[in-house]
Amino acid sequence: MSKTFDRLVSGIDSDGHGAYVEEHDEESNSMVINMGPVHPSTHGVLRLLLELDGETVLRCEPIIGYLHTGMEKECEDQNWRGAVTIVTRMDYLAQFANEQVYSMAVEELLGIDLPPRAVAIRCMIAELNRLSSHLVWFGTTGLDMGAMSAMFYGFREREMILDFFEMVTGLRMNNGYIIPGGVWVDLPDGWDAALEAILDVMPKRLDEYEALLNENPIFLERTSGVGVLSRDDALALGATGPIARASGVDWDLRRDMPYEGYEGVTFAVPTATSGDVYGRYRVRMAEMRETLELIRHFADNMPEGDFKNMDPKLTPPPRSELNRSMEAVIHHFKLVTQGFTVPEGETYARVESPRGELGCYIVSDGGTSPYRCHVRDPSFVNLQALGPMAQGQLIADLIATIASTDPIMGGVDR
Amino acid sequence: MSVQERVSAEEAVERLRSTLGDDVGDVEVRFGHLDATCSAENLRHVMTTLRDEPGLRFEFFTFLSAIDRSEFGGPDKPDKHGGLELIVHLYSPAHVLHINVRVPLDLADPRCESISAIYRGANWHEREMRDMFGIQFEGHPNLTGIYLPEDFEGHPGLRSFKLPNRAFIKPWPGAKDPEEAAAGGR
Repeated sequence: MSKTFDRLVSGIDSDGHGAYVEEHDEESNSMVINMGPVHPSTHGVLRLLLELDGETVLRCEPIIGYLHTGMEKECEDQNWRGAVTIVTRMDYLAQFANEQVYSMAVEELLGIDLPPRAVAIRCMIAELNRLSSHLVWFGTTGLDMGAMSAMFYGFREREMILDFFEMVTGLRMNNGYIIPGGVWVDLPDGWDAALEAILDVMPKRLDEYEALLNENPIFLERTSGVGVLSRDDALALGATGPIARASGVDWDLRRDMPYEGYEGVTFAVPTATSGDVYGRYRVRMAEMRETLELIRHFADNMPEGDFKNMDPKLTPPPRSELNRSMEAVIHHFKLVTQGFTVPEGETYARVESPRGELGCYIVSDGGTSPYRCHVRDPSFVNLQALGPMAQGQLIADLIATIASTDPIMGGVDR
Repeated sequence: MSVQERVSAEEAVERLRSTLGDDVGDVEVRFGHLDATCSAENLRHVMTTLRDEPGLRFEFFTFLSAIDRSEFGGPDKPDKHGGLELIVHLYSPAHVLHINVRVPLDLADPRCESISAIYRGANWHEREMRDMFGIQFEGHPNLTGIYLPEDFEGHPGLRSFKLPNRAFIKPWPGAKDPEEAAAGGR
């Protein structure tokens, strides 16, 4: 690390986040510049401190924390049910994965089982979420490389999925739909027709996307051999998800450590060996097709029955019960005023979010709110790999590399 | 990453005991995860062994976090209150095993060896824990703030750090229970 670099990292600007200057280092003739935090291609408020030799990146240090709002701490002040609304805002493009992993951890501590319908709804909606998240990645990646139509296409299809989310949960983002014990509301009438429309149109649209980019010479030029992450580096840095799979790490939690509804479901896990931006692109594209199959599987096999665990200690009784049963009134009052309690213990739950292993470490002291809630966000871990990926390549290629990492700053900073 | 041999939790406890002996304290199985305690001085040795021992091969670093147990159980159960605890979660793809390594730390002056030389992925996690809990990781290449501004005072992860918007700025002005009210409180 050069001297200038040291000083820059530790200097303070008005936000207290390090100095905002460009400087030459006299000794090494390198230049240190800031990229971000408000740069359209950094996907949020990511700031990169770059040490450059001409156009070549000598060192790339991501500086994060611009979106840090202390959500883990905030969870400690919410009741178990209320913390769902916090975790859903972490990785805001994979909101259902966040809710699911948090709920799984709480359910493990509670020691309860879920009705089969709840499991199927959760998995289906989480897979749709994977699709919508990858569509944002597709759009922004295309845009970063100058293919603006990719942005329009990706967001057009995403809109259909968000409409479906709105129809089911009432909200387009930050849904708070998956709760400990199941989901908070059943699927509405006509959900299958709305889903069918998405499943009908998506394969054709994916063909279109691939026709647009797969063999596109400009796209190939900008992505193949760019931002290479070796398999060993991916493992050592703890990278997961499409980034690790594009580097040849054949690893998917849904297949290798099946949770909830993925037990016994067969699906392909696309991998690549090139470890470059193009490899990640191919992996994600193939993943979208697999996801469509999984959504169809869950939708076709949607069981009937309860959509949440009906234990009165966990779920408020139906409204009609309140007029007849004193017990119901007591349960209702308890749940509304202080929420349910979770037995003392701690556990770690994990799911495969669109970006990799999303984990939630929950500690309960037997009270009505989480004692500690730590979220292992895949964006945070994967972003560490950006430095090694960027080293030695051109600054223009860095843009493509960031896009392929698909970091969500809400998840990175939490 | 590929599965070589699925090892049962009991077998893994045996292997841990035989390779690490007294370097780890209690080893138990909780929710399917191995759970072991080790001292801050031994952490680097334990991590290296866990990673390299052929029968264990915890090669995948999942996360590193900390828990401040100084208010555990609430104010009514002071016997449950504890200190600061560092947690390292590792995963062995070859044997499909998970382990939580717990390191008790001194809450007044938390210090620990850095494991970022053993698991590169731990680098940012250690910086995060330095911000949130004030843990000093000795031997870390760049232990600077990651989330908080350099001049931020306090460590928000600690239980003693109260969020201003959650604390009661003024005490509740009225009576808190019926007896008090009957005795003349408002």
